Amino acid sequence: MQLAAHATLKNSDSANIIALSSTALALPGIALADAPPTQSTASYKLSNYQEDDLSRSEVPSGELNRYDIDVHQFQLVAPMGRNMSVHVDANYESLSGASPWFTSVGLDGKPVVNLSGASGISDSRSELSVGTRYYLDNGSFAGNIGYSEENDYRAVYFGLNGERHYNDDLTTLAGGFSYSSDDIFPTDAALFNRVRDEDKRSSSVFVSLTQIINQVSSFQTALSFTEQSGFLSDPYKLRDVRPEDKTQIAWSNSYRRFFVAANAALHVNYRFYHDDFGINSHTSDVSWHQNLGRQFQIVPQLRYYSQSAADFFTNVDDFLNPLSEYQSSDYRLSAFGAISGGFSLIADMGSWKATLTAERYLANDKYSAYDISQPSTALVKYNRLSLGVDFSF
Amino acid sequence: MGSFCEIQIFAESRIDAKKILSRLTEEVARLEKKYSRFRNDSFLTEINRSAGRKHGIEIDSETQSLLDHAKNCYETSDGLFDVTAATLSQIWDFKNAQIPTQAQIDAAQTTLGFHKISWSDSRLRLPPNMQIDFGGIVKEYAADSVARLARNLGVNNGLVNLGGDFSVIGAQPDNRPWSTGIIAPDRERDIMAKIDLLQGGLASSGDYERFFMHKGKRYSHIMNPFTGWPCAGLRAVSVAANLCTVAGSVATIAMLKDEIVAKQWLLDSGLPHVYMDSRQTVGGTGINANS
Repeated sequence: MQLAAHATLKNSDSANIIALSSTALALPGIALADAPPTQSTASYKLSNYQEDDLSRSEVPSGELNRYDIDVHQFQLVAPMGRNMSVHVDANYESLSGASPWFTSVGLDGKPVVNLSGASGISDSRSELSVGTRYYLDNGSFAGNIGYSEENDYRAVYFGLNGERHYNDDLTTLAGGFSYSSDDIFPTDAALFNRVRDEDKRSSSVFVSLTQIINQVSSFQTALSFTEQSGFLSDPYKLRDVRPEDKTQIAWSNSYRRFFVAANAALHVNYRFYHDDFGINSHTSDVSWHQNLGRQFQIVPQLRYYSQSAADFFTNVDDFLNPLSEYQSSDYRLSAFGAISGGFSLIADMGSWKATLTAERYLANDKYSAYDISQPSTALVKYNRLSLGVDFSF
Repeated sequence: MGSFCEIQIFAESRIDAKKILSRLTEEVARLEKKYSRFRNDSFLTEINRSAGRKHGIEIDSETQSLLDHAKNCYETSDGLFDVTAATLSQIWDFKNAQIPTQAQIDAAQTTLGFHKISWSDSRLRLPPNMQIDFGGIVKEYAADSVARLARNLGVNNGLVNLGGDFSVIGAQPDNRPWSTGIIAPDRERDIMAKIDLLQGGLASSGDYERFFMHKGKRYSHIMNPFTGWPCAGLRAVSVAANLCTVAGSVATIAMLKDEIVAKQWLLDSGLPHVYMDSRQTVGGTGINANS
């Protein structure tokens, strides 16, 4: 006799089977736990960051062209054994252009900026970091160390972080710590009476909570604290004196929702930042991740940013001030607002993936949500263009 | 694994399929190398060598999880399914049909008993002479693990067959179920049942190759830890469940029980199953007769 069965599996209500399933489902090859990558991925990304030239009305004499930076980023992620992955990151940046040297009052009584050096600045930065992540049944932990070098700057850093899933993996709690020790040794220090060799240290901790709300939406909130101490001023400005300690706190929130009918996802992020230089800032951005078939995705993105000024910001350098008094004319410490928009195009061909991103950024004191008592000179406008390729093998 | 293994997958290209298959066979090889009782270099052999050692042996989380499941099987079967009963198999010589002496059986029985082992987190202590055998668990677990890995690698359609233990990766590309044939014991070309699987797993246990005739009675190679004798209940059982691991545990427990009790236990499980009893009668539920 021969029997044929069409096994229609419904969940057995037998207590024995439920009991046997409970330990079977906990076996690592079966459990729906975090898993290390099973393939190696090599990535390369080329980015160009180009600041708009300043106008003659902003810069009475000398150079007008600002920073132009090319960035090459390489990354290799590979599985190692069953529970681990390793990654190696190498970055190379080349930079040319000029940056604000000092500000003064122009002929019309408005502040003007003087850019550094007749021939501008030319520098490069090389960075190498290695890290590893170890995967557990219900989470993972990771560590990395890195080294970065420019001809006037050197940084050594490390980080540790971990995450753990709860509540059937619907809730994830993550935390981490990082530390960086930096050396600053400006070029032509003797010639321009700059500091010769200074250092600074940064320590940072973060915690984050991610909650999957339902099949199509999730929410994340994160808090981070950073403490910096040492030489925090800009050694290339004619007069830039900042406190030697800085405490930063940032609170980030992100909401993601997938729309099945549209085959697209909405990402909304908001971040609040505060530091004891006196800067508060708000960043909100929204992006729409539209799938086009199985292989393509287009992501338009819009961001708004606004910050208040640091307590010691001045838009015209006061060289009569004693050196013991904090002051800086760095536009990044002024009150301003910024709007940026851009898009990414992603083509996913299985083992190949290509991403093209373009962004336009406009900073302006008129966009600020805060009162502007001292509008800064030389607020930045830039274009950023990047092309990345990932290869899995 | 010392038995016929087959993995069928459907991928977008042959190159993808080859890469995925090599990754999947690596996973089978990894578990075989780790838990084979017949390999001198396996981790299980190392565990068994540690028997009697005061400080025991360090075990990883995967082995702990397997022991957790083995403990669950032991408790669910009231001590019948005992992974520590391996020494019993060693004294029974199936090749030459030799019955061990009662003294040998008594001696072997003193070495077994899952309740005698202890492990706290990563350290396992086995009493002297105890041997562990994950038969009925690890091959089934390997099938599930490979199927899960295949799904993680993006395979939607496929079937894993590790020596008659099946785990479905996903239905056939046209959404048809996989048809698995269950061979009747000692009649290799005879299929005693066909079970169509759309999901989950199927595991079989029986006296297929190794059995023992004594006083006209047939004994399988599966050992009853209470009697020290091979069990003499059902001849073969196949069970389908949401996981091959669960199916394998249920099938093994059914083989260990007395025939009548076993049939009821299978019925109570609510899982589709097929068995052949000592009178060569094929039965089961959740299936349609096709004779």
